[in-house]
Amino acid sequence: MALIQVLSLQKHFGAFQAVKDVSFHVNQGDVFGFLGPNGAGKSTTIRCLLSLITPSGGDIRFFGKSLRENRSEVLSRVGCIIEKPDFYKYLSAQRNLEIFARISGQQIPSKKIQEMLDFVGLTGREKDKVAGFSHGMKQRLGIAQTLLHNPDIVILDEPTTGLDPQGIIEVRNLILRLRDEQNKTVLLSSHQLSEIEIIANRMVIINQGRTVVEGEVQGLLAKQSLNLEITVEDPLKMEAVFSEKFPELTFRLLYPNTYHVELHTDQRKELIQHLVEGGSGVKAVIPKRSLEDFFIKMTEK
Amino acid sequence: MLRKNTYNELLKIATKIRSYIGIGALTLLILIVLFAMKADGKSYVGFVTASFEQTLSFNGKILNGNLIAFIILQMLIVHVPLLIALVTGDLISGEEATGTVRMLATKPISRTGIVLSKWFAATIYTLIMTLWLGFLSLFVAKWMFGTGDLIVLNSEGLLVLPESELAWRFGLSLMIAFLALWTVATLSMAFSAFAKNSVGPIVSTMSVIILFTIIGTLDVSVFDSIKPFMFTTHMAAWRSVFEDPFPTSTIVESVVVLMLHILVLLGITLYRFNKKDITS
Repeated sequence: MALIQVLSLQKHFGAFQAVKDVSFHVNQGDVFGFLGPNGAGKSTTIRCLLSLITPSGGDIRFFGKSLRENRSEVLSRVGCIIEKPDFYKYLSAQRNLEIFARISGQQIPSKKIQEMLDFVGLTGREKDKVAGFSHGMKQRLGIAQTLLHNPDIVILDEPTTGLDPQGIIEVRNLILRLRDEQNKTVLLSSHQLSEIEIIANRMVIINQGRTVVEGEVQGLLAKQSLNLEITVEDPLKMEAVFSEKFPELTFRLLYPNTYHVELHTDQRKELIQHLVEGGSGVKAVIPKRSLEDFFIKMTEK
Repeated sequence: MLRKNTYNELLKIATKIRSYIGIGALTLLILIVLFAMKADGKSYVGFVTASFEQTLSFNGKILNGNLIAFIILQMLIVHVPLLIALVTGDLISGEEATGTVRMLATKPISRTGIVLSKWFAATIYTLIMTLWLGFLSLFVAKWMFGTGDLIVLNSEGLLVLPESELAWRFGLSLMIAFLALWTVATLSMAFSAFAKNSVGPIVSTMSVIILFTIIGTLDVSVFDSIKPFMFTTHMAAWRSVFEDPFPTSTIVESVVVLMLHILVLLGITLYRFNKKDITS
């Protein structure tokens, strides 16, 4: 069942058309990736989904109902973070959550607020003013705020923007817990394909305000070449393995002992096996997919 | 939802430092006036009554709490709008500047509900400021200077109002002063709906008040037709309460004009905020 349906969405600001024709649907239980380069129209689309911006054309339906005619009912079942969660800095984390709980459309006991603070790992900081919080802590508090009213759908717009690597891992783990422990339908906007690949099961890619492609993540990614960054102890042995076993592959040296390898199909398993058996001393294999490459491939069709 | 968000808005006002700047400044100004009157009030009153001393004989205590309260109201009613706008001009634009407007607007409360709850909170804040002004100017002044009849100097001469009539006259004047300040609060909220930070609405509000006040004092016939419709013309209506005979029609007219301003400005705020694309 489609919980979110976006149908030929359009939005223009004066003469500038930010969203020209975006359509996609999000099924119940999906972790849905909403991808596009900067300026593709992702944030405008998300803001239309949350009624922050009025669309110029098209339709948005949640739970089979029009957002325009059922705004309050829809928003009471949706939780969201738009880019960065902004809170009242002069208030404590708990006070902030109390404020948003009051207007969530539901009776939320203080026990639930504490539960959410525990869930995002802010126990012990609830009385601290948000002004003293790091960006990562605010992002976690944002997720707590998102979940307060137990929404059916969680919409996260670029939730890892501006976070340090530790913060990115924390937020990513929280999103995975939303899927695994809370069974939420998640719409996650990002410009990083690698992030979507880890988390999402379905995705849509938009570019220049139009839908480029929509479908299962694995199915779509299987159509593109996979790049790897491989670090080995013995580069000569690695090159020997490539020449003997994988002559069709192209590779180049990135830095000492680290190679960039382009696969045509997913040969990761056999490649690693041969490198290990060949005594190359494999230290790291990092998958690399470029959103730009993927775009080119998708738009070439 | 509206009641709950009004509570939220009051909570936000109560926990912001800027909300106390107004109350603090008002308290300090009144205390300075009280101190000055205590120290040298007799010569101040003597200066005012000097021109009448050859024709009139003054008996009793002229420098009393009622006169001090009247002087304070006259002095501060010009400055209190700035202190009100400091808070109310920030109510919408402040949320825009900090990005919290996004959080608010994605909750199941309507945009009309958001504006109305802020407006109710602004109304309560304005009422508290007016009551505080009344308390300090009236009760503290009476406690310090005692009571007595009120001597009012106006364009037609000197008017002595008996003490027995002063309670309702001060009460009514504070109610009209509240209405004037409420208009200013609604005006600054209307500006706030168009701005992305609170400086613009506060400066714009004061600019409008100064501009309209200057137009109101210019004795040029070209402005005569618009003067009755400017809210600043009616902001001093509280003073009419201390006239004799009581100018009922003038006061009713001022109340109606101020109320109409409030309704129109609130309508503009609601229209603007409902139509606004939140892109911050």
